[in-house]
Amino acid sequence: MIDDEKFRRAFLEEARDVVVELEAALLALNDSPEDGDLVGRAFRALHTLKGSGAMFGFDELAAFSHNLENAFDEVRNHRLAVTSALINLSLSALDHIKAMLEEAVGRGVANAAAGAELLEQLRQLTGKPESEAEKSTPAVAHEGALADSGGAGADWQIHFTPGPDLMRTGADPFLLLRELRQLGNLKVSANLSAIPPIGELDPERCYVGWEMVLTTSAGREAIADVFIFVADSCELTIAPSGETADGIAAAEKGSESATEKRREKSAELATAAVAGFPASAAAAPESKPWGRRSYDTPDNASSIRVPAAKLDQFVNLVGELVTVQARLGELAARREDADVAAVAEEIERLTSALRESSINIRMLPIRGTFERFRRLVHDLARDLHKEVELAIEGADTELDKSVIDVLNDPLMHLIRNSMDHGIEAPEARLAAGKRASATIRLSARHSGANVLIGISDDGGGIDAEAVRERAIEKGLVAADAQLTESQIFSLILAPGFSTARQITDVSGRGVGMDVVRRTVEGLRGTIEIQSQPDAGTTVMLRLPLTLAIIDGLLVRVEKAYFVLPLATTLECIELTREDIERANGKHVANVRGQIIPYIRLREYFRMARERPEREQIMVAETEEGRFGFVVDEVLGDHQTVIKNLGRFYRHVDLVSGATILGNGTVALILDPQRLVREAIRSLARGAAGDAHSPPRGRGAAV
Amino acid sequence: MPFTLEQSAGLCEIRASGAINIASAADWKKCLLDALAGGAEIRLRLEMASELDITALQLLWAAEREARALGTRFTVVSPIPEEIAITVKDAGFEKFPIPLNTKAQ
Repeated sequence: MIDDEKFRRAFLEEARDVVVELEAALLALNDSPEDGDLVGRAFRALHTLKGSGAMFGFDELAAFSHNLENAFDEVRNHRLAVTSALINLSLSALDHIKAMLEEAVGRGVANAAAGAELLEQLRQLTGKPESEAEKSTPAVAHEGALADSGGAGADWQIHFTPGPDLMRTGADPFLLLRELRQLGNLKVSANLSAIPPIGELDPERCYVGWEMVLTTSAGREAIADVFIFVADSCELTIAPSGETADGIAAAEKGSESATEKRREKSAELATAAVAGFPASAAAAPESKPWGRRSYDTPDNASSIRVPAAKLDQFVNLVGELVTVQARLGELAARREDADVAAVAEEIERLTSALRESSINIRMLPIRGTFERFRRLVHDLARDLHKEVELAIEGADTELDKSVIDVLNDPLMHLIRNSMDHGIEAPEARLAAGKRASATIRLSARHSGANVLIGISDDGGGIDAEAVRERAIEKGLVAADAQLTESQIFSLILAPGFSTARQITDVSGRGVGMDVVRRTVEGLRGTIEIQSQPDAGTTVMLRLPLTLAIIDGLLVRVEKAYFVLPLATTLECIELTREDIERANGKHVANVRGQIIPYIRLREYFRMARERPEREQIMVAETEEGRFGFVVDEVLGDHQTVIKNLGRFYRHVDLVSGATILGNGTVALILDPQRLVREAIRSLARGAAGDAHSPPRGRGAAV
Repeated sequence: MPFTLEQSAGLCEIRASGAINIASAADWKKCLLDALAGGAEIRLRLEMASELDITALQLLWAAEREARALGTRFTVVSPIPEEIAITVKDAGFEKFPIPLNTKAQ
C-alpha cells in the first residue's frame, strides 16, 4: 500500500537538496553570467521543484517556482540576460521557497505578501505577466515554450515507457502526458502489450508504455524537461518525426556506410533522448537505439536516504552490543574454556567490524556545509561593499554527521568575523598592493583520528597589540602579563571579547567567537589561530572524526577507572618515589631531559592519600604544552563507545562522557585539555592567595 | 475501500466511488479477480468514481481481457464521469473496451 505522507516527506527531503543545488548554481552564475550550463542547472532545479511540488500537492510552492522557472527559461533562450539584479532577486525568491518548505514541516510561516512582492519584481524584471494558467495549474503548465508556438511547429516522435517502479515513487505518467499537451498538439497511443494476465499483475507496477507524436514549436530540450524527474527510471526517446531508429534502419539499408551512419544516428538519438539529463546517462549503448534503460540493471539505486534518527538508534544499539561483547570477553577469560573463548573472539571480531561499519555509515562529506556558505559570503560581501570569493578545498572530507550538524554555527561566526573585521574594503586592499577581491578559504582534511577544518582569509590580519590592550582593558589578563602571540590570539575566544569598537549587524558583539570556542570544545576539538599582519588570518579547528567512539587508554586509580583519549597521548612512563624526591616535591618529571609538569588524578579527584610505590605517568600533548597525568596503573588500549552522562552532570566539563567496561564498571572519559586548563586556573588562583579554596571541590595539583 | 462487489445469480456488480489509484490498487485487483471468479456477467458502475489512475486502468484492461477469454460478459454501465472519460482518452487507451459515454443509457 502506498503512503502519500511518505512521499510528501520524501519530496521535502529531496527539495532541500534541490534548493542547495539551486543556490550553488545561482551563486556560480553570479560569477559566470554567460555560463549556459549553470543556467541549465538553475532551470532544472526550478523545474524539479515545480513539477515534484505539484505532484505531491505543494501547489503554492509549485506555482511560485514556476514563475522563477519561466524567468530562467527566458535566460536559457537568450531573451533575458543574467544580471546581478536577477541573481539577487532569484536568491530572495529561493529564500521564500525555503520558507515555504519550512512551513510545510511546521517550522514557521512563509510570508505570502513577500512572495507576491517577489513575483511582482520578477514580472517587472522579465517584462512578462504571470498568466492565469500558470497561477492555477502549475503542474501542467510549461515553461514558456509555447509562448510563441502559435499552434504550429515540428512533429516530434516520443517513445516513453515508465520504469516498473514509477508509480511507487509517487510519479504519475498521466501528469506527464498532460504536461506534454501544454506544449502543443499531442497524439497518444498506449502500448498495452506488456500487461500480463490479471492474476500475475503486480498492482502497483506500471506496465503501459506510450508512443506519441507532438506537434510543437518547442525544442527537444523543452520536451525532455517534461520527463526530468522520471529520467532515471524510464525508457525515453525524443526524435524529430521520421527519425526513429526503425526509420533510420530502413532508409539506410544497402548504403555502403549504413552501419557507420546508423551508429552515428543512434548515438544522436540516444543523446537526444537524454538531453537535459545527467551526463552519465548519455552513454546509451548502441544496441539500444531507444535510449536509456537505467532500470535494466538490477541495482540502480547506489544510495538510499535514511532518517538520521534511525541511524542514531542503530549506532546506539551497536554501542550496547560492544558493551555486552566486552562482558562476554571478560567472562570467557575467567572461564578458561577454549570453546567459549573461541566464540567470544569471533564475536569480538564481528562486533568490531560492525562498529566500524556503523560509524562509517554516519560519515558524510562536509561539502554540503561548506557550499551553504557561498550564499553567506555573497550576501555579506554585498552588504559590506566588499569583494570576496569563497574557495573550498577538501569538500569530500568525511566526518561524523553529529559533528557536521553542529559545525554550521561556528563556521558561520568565523566567516562573518573574517568578512567584517579581517577583510579590508576594496580601496584599502588596492592601496596595500593587494587584489581588490579578497579570498576566504574553507578547507578540510584528515589528520589521524581528527579532521582539520581551516577558515583563512587574505585580509589585514589580527593586530596582536590591539588584542592585548583590549584584553587588559577587559581585565582578562594582567597588564604585565607575558603572553606569546598564540596566547594573545586565543584571547579572541574569551567570552565578551571584541576589538570592534562599533557593533555591526555582522559581528562585533563578542558573542560569536565565544560560541565558536564552546561549540568546538563541546566536540572535543581545539582551535588554533595564526595571523600575519597584512597577510591574513587562519583559524584551524581540530575535531574528532566521530563523537560516538573514542580510542582511549584505560587507566586505574584506586578502584576507579578512567579513559584518556589516545589521540593526545604521547607515551607512558613510570614514576618512582626516587623521581618524586629528585623533583623536591614539585609536580614535575624529567623525561629524557625535558621537564614535564603533571597532574596526579588521585589528588585532583581527592581520592585516598596513600599512593602506591610505583605510579605511571601518561604524557599528553595539550594546547598548553606537554602535561603528564599520574595514575596507579595503565591497563591498555580501550576503544569505547561514549555514553553521555545525562543532564544532571552536564556542567561537569572535565568529563567528556562515560563508558561501561566489560565487568560492568563505569569508567569516566576525561578531557585532558580541560583538566590542564582547570589546573592552571586553579594554580593562578592559588598564587593570588586563594590556593586553599579550589573551585568545585577539586585540588590545584600542578 | 472505494468499491463494493455484489453478487447475485451469476451477476457480479462492482460499484466504484472516489479515487481508485495506486493506494487501493491491490484491493482493486482482488475485487476484479473475485468478480471474474464469481459470475457469468460483470457490471462495473463508475458514476461515483472520481479518478482512475494508470494502475487502476491497466487492471481494468487486464480484467476485461480475462473476461473475454473466459466468455464472461464485462460491461461498464453509463454514465461515466467526464473526468474519467477524458483521462482514458488522453492516456491513449484507444482500444479500451469501456464505452466512453458520459450520458446515462
